[in-house]
Amino acid sequence: MATENPLHQFTIERLIPIHIGKIDASYTNSALLMTIAVVLITAFVVLTTRPAALVPGRWQSVSEMLYEFVADMVDKNAGHGAQAYLPFVFTLFMFILLGNLLGMIPYSFTFTSHIIVTFGMALTVFIGVTLIGIARHGFRFLTLFVPHGVPVVLLVLLVPIELLSYFIRPFTLSIRLFANMMAGHTMLAIFAGFVAVLGIGGILPLAVDVALVLLELLVAVLQAYVFAILTCLYLADALHLH
Amino acid sequence: MDERGEQDPLRDLEQRLERARRAQERNVGGPPAEGGPSVSRGALGLAFRIGLELVVAVVVGTAIGWALDVWLGTRPWLAILFFFLGVGAGMVNVWRAVMGMGMAVGYRKDASPAKEKGADWDDED
Repeated sequence: MATENPLHQFTIERLIPIHIGKIDASYTNSALLMTIAVVLITAFVVLTTRPAALVPGRWQSVSEMLYEFVADMVDKNAGHGAQAYLPFVFTLFMFILLGNLLGMIPYSFTFTSHIIVTFGMALTVFIGVTLIGIARHGFRFLTLFVPHGVPVVLLVLLVPIELLSYFIRPFTLSIRLFANMMAGHTMLAIFAGFVAVLGIGGILPLAVDVALVLLELLVAVLQAYVFAILTCLYLADALHLH
Repeated sequence: MDERGEQDPLRDLEQRLERARRAQERNVGGPPAEGGPSVSRGALGLAFRIGLELVVAVVVGTAIGWALDVWLGTRPWLAILFFFLGVGAGMVNVWRAVMGMGMAVGYRKDASPAKEKGADWDDED
């Protein structure tokens, strides 16, 4: 009765090996889940809004609620003029949400539990937001790093701190999502491992696992929300400077 | 189904459309909509997001210092300096997140940001 390694679930498996020169561009289980997420989101939104009824039906309502939820979030947190970036934030939110939720299906794979995936998304947001800021404000963008009403002597200390806390953003953004997903799924696997070993006493870890699944569902939705809302806050910075 | 049954939802829809249109206009022209119902949602989101702030700031700060040390051959001085800068940046980030100012670099307002943010942006534009 070998308990499986709780980290085994994060193994990347090459489903279709593709090697271009020295680059390993294989189609992996991670890529498969991403494809499923994208196909599901697109199919759901397109199919449910196909009738485009004036009085929406059940499915169309779900679609519209999701859209309005994100639109509201962009509106409240990124301020006016940010509506142009709503499609990006909506896509990001849905992709992460589906990634987290698909990972909750037993025997599936959570692509958001890999730091390279979350870091890629966070870096895209970071570079995009910085470019938007520079395009909007030019050199005035640099005033973002100079706190107002501070004596010049203190600026020597504060500007490096502000710069550092700006460049930390992609790290906190990506590590938060990755760590939450990875920790949660590892915990689930560890407790699941106890169930079989303990025999009749296995009811206890089983109960813990049931509770953990509920917690993980909450975390899955919340982390997608946090990622999207932080993207909005960063956008607000770039658009309005202070 | 009589006539009223059919019309009432439509009239309701008219009102909702009107409201949505106004919200949209506000979004395009005026200040952003006032701080809304997201208090509990926001609080939970906040709790989940500040946890890492301090740790990551220190680690990334020290790593940057270390990398600069290796590059410039000044070991260990820059790593020490950036360690303290990282601690500072982490504290600033946590402070800002908790005070509800986003994790924005350089926010200056410190009271009830949901409302003040709007006013703040207005003098900028």
